[in-house]
Amino acid sequence: MTTPEPAAAAPKPVAPKYVPPEPVLNRQNGRLIEDRFSTWPTEVFKKRWSRPGYQRGAGMLVAIFVGLGLTGGLIGELAKRADGFYALLGSFAAAQGLPPLALDAGWIAIKVLIVLHIVLINGLWSIWWERKISAHIQSRVGPTYAGSPKGFNFHGWAQTAIDGIKLLLKEDVTPAAADKWVHALAPGLVIAPCIIAFAPVLFGDGLAAASLDIGTLYIFAFAGISVIGIVMAGWASGNKYSLLGGLRGAAQIVSYELPRGFSVVPILMFAGSLDLQVISNAQAGYWHGIIPRWFIFYPVVGQLAFVIFLISSVAETNRTPFDIPEAESELVSGFHTEYSGMKWSIFFLAEYAYVLLGSFLLATFFLGGGASPINALPFTWIPSWLWMLGKAMLMMFVFLWIRWTLPRFRVDQLMDFTWKFLLPWSFVNIAVAGLYLAYWLK
Amino acid sequence: MLDQAVFYSLTILTLASALAVVLHRNTVHSSLFLGLSLAGVAGLYASLGADFLFGAQIMVYVSGIAVLVIFVVMLLGRASDLHLRQVNERWMAALLVCFVAAVGLFKVARLQSNIVATGAAHPGTHDIGRLFLGEWLLPFELTSLILLAALLGAVFFTRTENAQ
Repeated sequence: MTTPEPAAAAPKPVAPKYVPPEPVLNRQNGRLIEDRFSTWPTEVFKKRWSRPGYQRGAGMLVAIFVGLGLTGGLIGELAKRADGFYALLGSFAAAQGLPPLALDAGWIAIKVLIVLHIVLINGLWSIWWERKISAHIQSRVGPTYAGSPKGFNFHGWAQTAIDGIKLLLKEDVTPAAADKWVHALAPGLVIAPCIIAFAPVLFGDGLAAASLDIGTLYIFAFAGISVIGIVMAGWASGNKYSLLGGLRGAAQIVSYELPRGFSVVPILMFAGSLDLQVISNAQAGYWHGIIPRWFIFYPVVGQLAFVIFLISSVAETNRTPFDIPEAESELVSGFHTEYSGMKWSIFFLAEYAYVLLGSFLLATFFLGGGASPINALPFTWIPSWLWMLGKAMLMMFVFLWIRWTLPRFRVDQLMDFTWKFLLPWSFVNIAVAGLYLAYWLK
Repeated sequence: MLDQAVFYSLTILTLASALAVVLHRNTVHSSLFLGLSLAGVAGLYASLGADFLFGAQIMVYVSGIAVLVIFVVMLLGRASDLHLRQVNERWMAALLVCFVAAVGLFKVARLQSNIVATGAAHPGTHDIGRLFLGEWLLPFELTSLILLAALLGAVFFTRTENAQ
């Protein structure tokens, strides 16, 4: 594919003109396909829908989401009949002569497996979504090719799964200076409290693995334990950057836990309970038949509490405006510098699980839980778990949007922000909520 | 049967990690075991059905105080601190004091040990709230006043240090 030399040779040799290589066409199974790695993606994108692989990839993605949605819906609809299933399992256990303890253990194991898989599938989904959103915010296209060598590559749908396989196959390195046991235990101590904290999370009306009277306190208590894992990871790596990252992480998370807890206190005062189901039920109904009685629509107090809770939830996950514990330009990558393979990915699984936890909590506390925003027939028919999931996904989009829009705080600005701004205003918020209770809501 | 198995395993966890706190040579490991020991106490509260106390213990002690202890140990620790001897030449006297204190605690605990707590969790958050803001309002407010004074004291000391 070289251009032919001109017939009349010039007297002195000229440098040959640069000719960009044409797209290489490969023949595979008798069909011509573009070599995807030598062409600029825009040319591929122009005629993407004419490629059968793209259509099949799109079909595969749609099938995966429909399948996940149907599975979620099946679990959501079946969980309404959970008592019936429990009785069925009980009669089965009685027929087999099993003790009631075995029945309860099996029942709890089923619930634990469902909640665990919510955390795991969330990692698969939200990492892909974050990569696509970050790419489009930065005028890139994000994962495009992952999927299949034959071209089942609709928007790189398989990127996270393939990354997971790569991380699984990576060498697990423990530095020579590391404290072996603490280094190995730290990722576990980050992810385990996070999964435990999902127990009372409400996925729809009456859809929680455990309905706890102290639900809110329980979630905040267990979410706070993860910071020990971060500090352990930072210290045990035997690296001064990791240690600095771990210490910054501890200072930041302990500080932001306070406004996070206090911003919810007005909600607890209005609802009169720590139980997430009671909080969700307290937001049922509509003012004048139109405006939903969600806590975010309570004048001033609701919006202020929402903003403070959102900001401190982002800070708790160590994501970008608040990512000084893993600031790349200062600390390599902070507390997880010395981790590789699955141990490293567990830190990220925990991060995305906390994003999901924050999204569901925002939906439950401020956006009415499983209630429909519009008081009209086709919307009130939609099941509560679908509203809940939609609101949580909207909040997760806000999390990702914040991360890819705002620049990083400096350490002192970060501390000033929580102690001098968020915390005092959350106290003011509690006082105003008390006035509301005394004079308006009675 | 199951209640007893849970109780004894949590007790063993709490006591073993408490012993590890004082016997371990590495101060960071000791502080991590302190967190484990406090979590074991929280587990005991949960097994006795005190749900609010369980949540408060986890929130305040495990994810608050244990984190602060670990933070300070890591911030101020030097490499030589990691291999400290935990006992000095007066360990006999310390053991004696511990023995006397343990006997005293045992005597006090025996007075109350005939009250059997039921294992089933019964939500007590409403009752606790009502008692805090009703019958026990004065002690509750006094405690918050002490905390406020401590906060102001901390601010005062950091300000004078900055001024010099």
